[in-house]
Amino acid sequence: MSVYKNNYRAYTGPVTPLWMRIYVLARYGFAEAWSSKITVALFTLSLLPFIIFLIIIYLANNPIAQLLVFKNSSRSLTVDAGFFLGTLQTQSWIALVLTAWVAPRLISFDLADNALPILLSHPISRVGYVFGKFMAMFTSLSAVTWVPCLLLFVYQCYSSAQPWAMANLSIAVGLFVGAVIWIAFLSILGLALSSWVKWRVVATGIIFAAVFVPAGVGGIVSAVLRTQWGLLLNFPVSMSVLWQRLLGAPEFMRSASSLPTPAIVTVLVLASLLCVAMLNARIRAR
Amino acid sequence: MGVIDLDRLEVRLGARTVLDGLTGELQGNAIGLLGPNGAGKSTLINTLLGFHPPSKGSARVFGLDAHRDRARIRGAIGYMPENDSFIGNMTGVRFVRYMAELAGLPSGAALERAHEALFYVGLGEVRYRKVNSYSLGMKQLIKLAQALAHGPRLLILDEPTNGLDPIARLRMIELIKEIRKEGSVRLLISSHLLRDIDETCDEVLILKNGRIAALCNIEAERRSNRSFMELETVGATEKFSVSIRGLGCECACFPGGRIKLVIPDHIEVRDLYVIASEQGVQIRRMNQRRDSLEDIFLRAMDSPMDREAGRSAHVSL
Repeated sequence: MSVYKNNYRAYTGPVTPLWMRIYVLARYGFAEAWSSKITVALFTLSLLPFIIFLIIIYLANNPIAQLLVFKNSSRSLTVDAGFFLGTLQTQSWIALVLTAWVAPRLISFDLADNALPILLSHPISRVGYVFGKFMAMFTSLSAVTWVPCLLLFVYQCYSSAQPWAMANLSIAVGLFVGAVIWIAFLSILGLALSSWVKWRVVATGIIFAAVFVPAGVGGIVSAVLRTQWGLLLNFPVSMSVLWQRLLGAPEFMRSASSLPTPAIVTVLVLASLLCVAMLNARIRAR
Repeated sequence: MGVIDLDRLEVRLGARTVLDGLTGELQGNAIGLLGPNGAGKSTLINTLLGFHPPSKGSARVFGLDAHRDRARIRGAIGYMPENDSFIGNMTGVRFVRYMAELAGLPSGAALERAHEALFYVGLGEVRYRKVNSYSLGMKQLIKLAQALAHGPRLLILDEPTNGLDPIARLRMIELIKEIRKEGSVRLLISSHLLRDIDETCDEVLILKNGRIAALCNIEAERRSNRSFMELETVGATEKFSVSIRGLGCECACFPGGRIKLVIPDHIEVRDLYVIASEQGVQIRRMNQRRDSLEDIFLRAMDSPMDREAGRSAHVSL
């Protein structure tokens, strides 16, 4: 029917299944996140370390090129679990910056104009709403974390003269699992904090604060009580310990090495549950 | 089966009982929801949308339980909230398309319906502008457009004329009348403006302190009182009243020559003048009036609340 015919008519066409509504939310959320030039700029920046790591892998697997670059230096480049731990750590910092920018865009616009009553009056539950936004966030963060890390792994498998892939498959699994844990945590944290703040700039600041303030408090606790347990509040450090164990990389921080894995996982789960409770309190039609 | 069936519906928010044992069957094409502030109108709407679970009893929409089957009900409902509710940084057409897709329309159909709905409500020319640049009237209209885009079976309008200037209000009322006339959509209109309900609805539910104060069919009430008349006469009033009773009018005389009468359909006002002329009676004042929704509302507000709690009181006039 043409738009110039201004009569109301009932809709009689097909209707999508209920689970598709979550996909609709995720699709619109994703489009909203990537409609910003700053998001695109951050993504472009995230490719810079990726290119550097790519060059390192190339040099490590090409003795002639290595000789040309390092001349007579005795330095040698090795691509191992430690190298991939570095790539994952770098990309994860970029993921944090991207979260601080994207998460408020996903939630704050809905809250600023009180869109929740209209959104939730459609056949979508509160859980579905949060899951849709979570999917948009998770997909965006995937593009800067496990996807480039696994691409580097694949390139290393391709470039290595020796059969490398099968012997180091645990690195790929570790990269994927470690990145997924981090971006799932960042996504839920970003959404929860954004849901409590209407102004996006403030929400961005609070997301950074939620990572760094507990780290500072943990550092003070560790120093005053002469214990390493305060490091559990330092998410970047505790996540690095977790990644190091997942990848089978050598220890990088002696003081944190004694943190038990179950304790790290418990802290992450508790923080995530707190975020879920925050979302439950905030994402309501009224 | 009515559009909305309420069975001893009780809703508590915290410690407060907001809806207290509502029972009734709403089956009009356009149902008005009236009541003073805090009567429970919005809570009833929210309960029908599945936002509030009933603490006792049940509410059914098209035979579906409002809480248990809320996903199916929401698919069949278009909801226009009272307050501002939109995504301001989206263009009008993108916002309406988004809502239509959430309601279950495939992407292409949602876009087509979004354009149609925006033209239908009169926002066709501004559909590519961001919603937060719209005027208050436009924002009301875009809420209506998003509620209509997916072709709902029941349209819930919460204070649709809120904040509109007289011209925009008239436009909104005309739109609601058109939608009602089209016939495929039932309407539930909550308002504190009696005139809006009077002009658009055929059934009215009046709430007071969370209970039903009145539930009546406006059309039926109007039909039963369509020729209610007050006369002020000078002369042989008694004789005059006997004569007009002879025509078939119900008639009551009062001191000062005042007469109240209900005229049957086949009698015209001219007949009264003829009789008055024959009998030398002067008709000094003639006031023909229908019993308005205002009368129904005021009577409901005055009625004691100690009538059986929550039982729908059918207003007789």
